[in-house]
Formats: sequence, structure tokens, C-alpha cells
Amino acid sequence: MQKKRKWFFRMAFASLLRRKSRMLIALLAIVVGATILSGLVTVYIDVPRQMGAEFRNYGANVIFTSKDGTALTIEEINDGLSNVNSSQIVGMTPYRYETVRINQTPVTAAGTDMSSVLKTSPYWSVDGEIPDKDGEILIGATVAQNYNLQVEKSISVTFTPEEVAEEAVAFDNGDEAAEGETSTSDVVLDNYIDFKITGILNTGGAEENYIYMSLEDLEELTQIPTTISLAEVSISASGSDLTAVVGSINQNSENVSAKVVKRVTASETTVLGKLQALILLVTIIVLALTMITVATTMTASVTERRREIGLKKALGALDGEIIKEFMGEQVLLGGFGGLIGTILGFLFAQLISVNVFSSSIVFRPVLLPLTIVISMAVTAVACLIPIRNATEIEPALVLKGE
Amino acid sequence: MSLLEINNVSKIYGELHALDKVSLKVEKGEWVAIMGPSGSGKSTLMNIIGCMDRPSEGEVLMDGIDIAKMNQKELTLIRRDKIGLVFQQFHLVNYLTAVENVMLSQYYHSIPDEKEALEALDRVGLAGRARHLPSQLSGGEQQRVCVARALINYPEIILADEPTGNLDEANEKIIMDLFHNLHNEGTTLIVVTHDPEVAQTAQRTLFLRDGKLVRETVNENFTGEIKYEDWTENK
Ligand SMILES: Nc1ncnc2c1ncn2[C@@H]1O[C@H](COP(=O)(O)OP(=O)(O)OP(=O)(O)O)[C@@H](O)[C@H]1O
Ligand SMILES: [Mg+2]
Repeated sequence: MQKKRKWFFRMAFASLLRRKSRMLIALLAIVVGATILSGLVTVYIDVPRQMGAEFRNYGANVIFTSKDGTALTIEEINDGLSNVNSSQIVGMTPYRYETVRINQTPVTAAGTDMSSVLKTSPYWSVDGEIPDKDGEILIGATVAQNYNLQVEKSISVTFTPEEVAEEAVAFDNGDEAAEGETSTSDVVLDNYIDFKITGILNTGGAEENYIYMSLEDLEELTQIPTTISLAEVSISASGSDLTAVVGSINQNSENVSAKVVKRVTASETTVLGKLQALILLVTIIVLALTMITVATTMTASVTERRREIGLKKALGALDGEIIKEFMGEQVLLGGFGGLIGTILGFLFAQLISVNVFSSSIVFRPVLLPLTIVISMAVTAVACLIPIRNATEIEPALVLKGE
Repeated sequence: MSLLEINNVSKIYGELHALDKVSLKVEKGEWVAIMGPSGSGKSTLMNIIGCMDRPSEGEVLMDGIDIAKMNQKELTLIRRDKIGLVFQQFHLVNYLTAVENVMLSQYYHSIPDEKEALEALDRVGLAGRARHLPSQLSGGEQQRVCVARALINYPEIILADEPTGNLDEANEKIIMDLFHNLHNEGTTLIVVTHDPEVAQTAQRTLFLRDGKLVRETVNENFTGEIKYEDWTENK
């Protein structure tokens, strides 16, 4: 049995490798199909993320910063909001940015109000959950990748207060004798908090470089009272109405500088769904076309190989064995075509992504087995009819003629 | 009991009787030649004996079993067990090497065994050409591969339809010598030929005309000796 199986593959490879030009035509058909398939599926999966980045302004349409360029307090923000009819306020999310450290390397931490964040940034896509209590943290996708972080894991975030930083400088400059004495009581250590990671943030933008925690946690970590770097506000008004509201905030409030940011209307998100449906449709059409091409190539190949099939039957091959041989050969080719197609498809998707969305995509390993299996299945289905016909060839008829 | 017994076999295509009530017997170990003009039904008869075709009428007993009414699959199973085929147009699989073509026959019969296949090629003087593709072999060499392929499974009958029809004299002699060897080992041979010289090497010659068996001669001078052995030196 072992020997028979070995022979089976030896014959399949001989047929593929020694009939190069024929094989390459069939392979080309499969590779083109697999490339477009895996490319489109990649784009299909990636589109929501990409479009999220495009639609980033959907949500917040006004940004508050301080007039004097320093920082805001919650009171000042509320004072600014008091100029807006409260029924028009959809949400307000304050942000405070500080540089903290993970594994000694600096990362920007944003303190914010997790409960309102989705009202002003609905395009955020989170693997896992948005934190809902202190001690929990949301990690930007890039940060997660850099430090190999996962949901449910814990992570220690440190902050170096100014005294410590000065101490460290002094320590570096001090002579060796001083070293032993500075060890215990009067040394101020880095502050740190052990967080539990509840989610990984994907936005397709700069947010992926940050980590997000509650304002209270950030205050505890830094030991510096909360100030607000900026606030994103979503006001349900548009056009001249919005301009009027923003104007009155700027005029009446003491420290708030309000700016309108472009907002994409909600209805435009339906474009996303339509685009995905379109890609799906194209993918299905490409699959069908691939199947037709492979079937045509296969039919031609069977016609060309009538003599060989007749000969094999004359030598004692049963119909089942002929089917098995041709299928095995073509499915092998299908698998190989799928492999090449996955690689080319990724490059193809990358090209689309860079040109259309100006951002790169991540390779999804699951696409490899998926494309290979689909390519094999498509080739198998496409070959079914030509191979069935092949078994109808009579050994006597074929061998009689030239 | 004869190895092969054909009784009143006809093959009818519409009006045409390609074979018309043919009866004959072949004993185990016999070497029979079949002659006749073109269109007389020689290949039709060979196809029926070779289990590649069924007669319209009559019975074909092989080892006492009637194969005339068997279905395709049963015929295939008998063919791969009992029959070795050599054709006029060599018919090798073009993407398989000489030894692989021999192994192909082993594969359908039982288990491919490269060592045995190489020995078979050695017997036909092609040990040195085992790894060549058919396109790299001369016509005579290709036909020798076919002979090696036909004998590899120790068939009860070797059927050869014009085995030397496409060969020059030198190669014809080589093939006939190989048949002599097979005959001396006890293999039953049925050889279709146009060439009286080829027919004369057999023990018995049957003549077909218009689908009928018209004459039969016995070769009095048959010795079973190999006449031309010089080719084996260069193997
Ligand atoms: N499948 C078929 N359909 C119709 N007629 C056929 C078929 N096969 C053979 N014949 C006819 O049967 C007759 C015998 O054919 P066959 O091939 O047996 O001749 P042959 O003796 O082998 O001739 P040759 O020496 O030319 O090979 C011929 O007249 C041929 O045309
Ligand atoms: Mg003929």
C-alpha cells in the first residue's frame, strides 16, 4: 500500500513536471483565481477597519482646547457646554495625555471617560471590551503588537515623577562612593499600577499607538491632579447652526477654544456595507470564472490525453483509478496554485490598500489554508465532468488508430 | 482444457461482419501467428481476446470461463491479471521514463516494484536506458519497453498486434528473439502480422479473410531456437 501511494505521487508529479507547458496553463488559471480570491477576501475583511479610519470624524464634530494653549479643567469644559442647548449634546469625551512607560520604554497614555468614548468615536473597533472600571486598560493595536500584549493579560505601567528623574540624573553624576548611601529611605521610586487588559483598539489611525485608562487611574499613576488636554464633543447640529453654536461657545466661555471638525453623516456608513457586498459579489464571480477556466483547460487536457487514458485502461486501470489519478494530479496543482495565489493575493490587497486607503494591511495566516482548500475544491469540482468523460474512452478504439 | 477456446464468435457493425463465426483453440504455451489482408478482422479478434471488446455473438472461454458476456469492469480485471499487450504504435506514457512505464503496468496489476521493473528492462537489453523518456528512445527501443511492460506481470497470454510493423529489420529480429525467449519460458503468444517471415517463426499460423478463418498452417520447421543473439551483447 505504501508503495502504491508513493507511486501515485511519483506519477502525479511526473505528469505535472514533465508536461510543463500544459501544467503551467492550468496553474496560471488557478493562480489568477486564487490571487483575486485571497486578495479580495483580505480587502473584504479589512475594509471596515480602513473605512473606520476614513470615517474617523463621524461622531465628534467639535474639539475643545484651551485658549491659552495650556490645559482645561472639567469645570471650564462644562462652562463651555453651557452655551449649548443640552438636548443637542450627544457626548463629550475629555482626554488627558501623559508619557508613561511600559518595560522602560515610553508610551503615550490617554486618560479619558470610557463611558462616553464611543459616543464621540463610534468608529473605534475593540477586540475585547472597553474598560468599565479602574485598574482596567485598553491598548492600541500597535502597542499591543510591539509588546506582544493580549486581552486578559496584565501589564505594569510606570510613571517617573519629576523628582525621580532628577534623582536619577544626580545619581548618574555622583561618584562611586555616594552609591552605597543613596539606597534606602529618601529615594523616590517610579510610580506604577498593574492593569488588566480588557481590549485591543483598532482604528487604522494614531489611536493605535496609545493606551487608554480612566482619568482617575492616570491621576493615581502620575500623582498629578487631572487636567484635560482636549475634549471631543459631539453636537447634533450641522452647517450654519453648528457654526453659530461654536461661535457662541468661543465668545462666552473663559478658556474654551472650540473648533468645528468635518463630520461624515451616519448614512455614509451604509456605503461600507454596500462596498463589502460588492466585493463579495466580485469574489463569487471570480470563483465561477476560475472554475470555468480550469474546467476548460481540463477538458482540453483530457481530449489531448485520450490515448494515454485508453492505454492506461488497456493496461488494466479501472475507471475509479483513472478518476483518482487525474483528480489527484489536478488537486495537487490546485493546492500549489492556491499557495502562490495567497502570496500574490496579499501583495494585490496591499497594493489596493496603499493606493485606495493609504494604509497597509496585516497578513492573516488563516487565509493560507483557506485559499489552498478553496483552490483544491474549485479544481476538483471543475475537473469532475471532464474526468467522468475520460472514463468513457474505450481502450480498443484509442489503440486502434494512430 | 485449452487456455483459450473461441466458438462461433461474430462481431457485427451494422451490415459489416468484422468477424464471422470464428472458432479456434489455443493451448497453453503455444505460439500462434494470425495473418490476413487489411480489414480482415485481425485487430477485432485481438481486441476480443484481449478483453477490450465484446463479441456480438458466440463464446470466448478463457481457462474455461466465458468472458463474452462480462461487463467492462470484469473484463478489466481479467485483462490486468492474464493479458500482456504489445501494440504496433508503441503506446508508452510520454511523461514516464522507461522504467516508470513498466512500473505503471505493475501498479495496475499489483504493486510497483522498481527493482523488478529494472530487471525486466535488462531482459530486453535496455538496462542502460531505464531513465530515458519515450521521446529519447528509438522506435525499436520503445517497442522493447512495451515488451518488458507486457511481460512484467507474468501474463498467461501475450497479445501482439503488428509488433514489428513500425520497425526496421534489425529491431524486428530483436523483438522476435524476445518472443522466442518468452515462448521457451512457457508464455502463450498470439502475434498478428503482415510479414510472412514473422509468421514463420510461430508454431502455427491462422489466416483470416473477410472476418472468416480460412486456413491454418503448422510450421514444420519450428525449433524454438533463438536465431539472432548478437544484439544482446550491447546491453
Ligand atoms: N468500431 C468499428 N465500427 C465499425 N466498423 C469497424 C469498427 N472497428 C473495425 N471495423 C471494421 O471491421 C473490419 C475489421 O477491422 P480490423 O481492424 O479488425 O481489421 P484488421 O484486420 O486489423 O486490418 P489492418 O490489417 O488494416 O489492421 C474493418 O472493415 C473495419 O472497418
Ligand atoms: Mg489491425
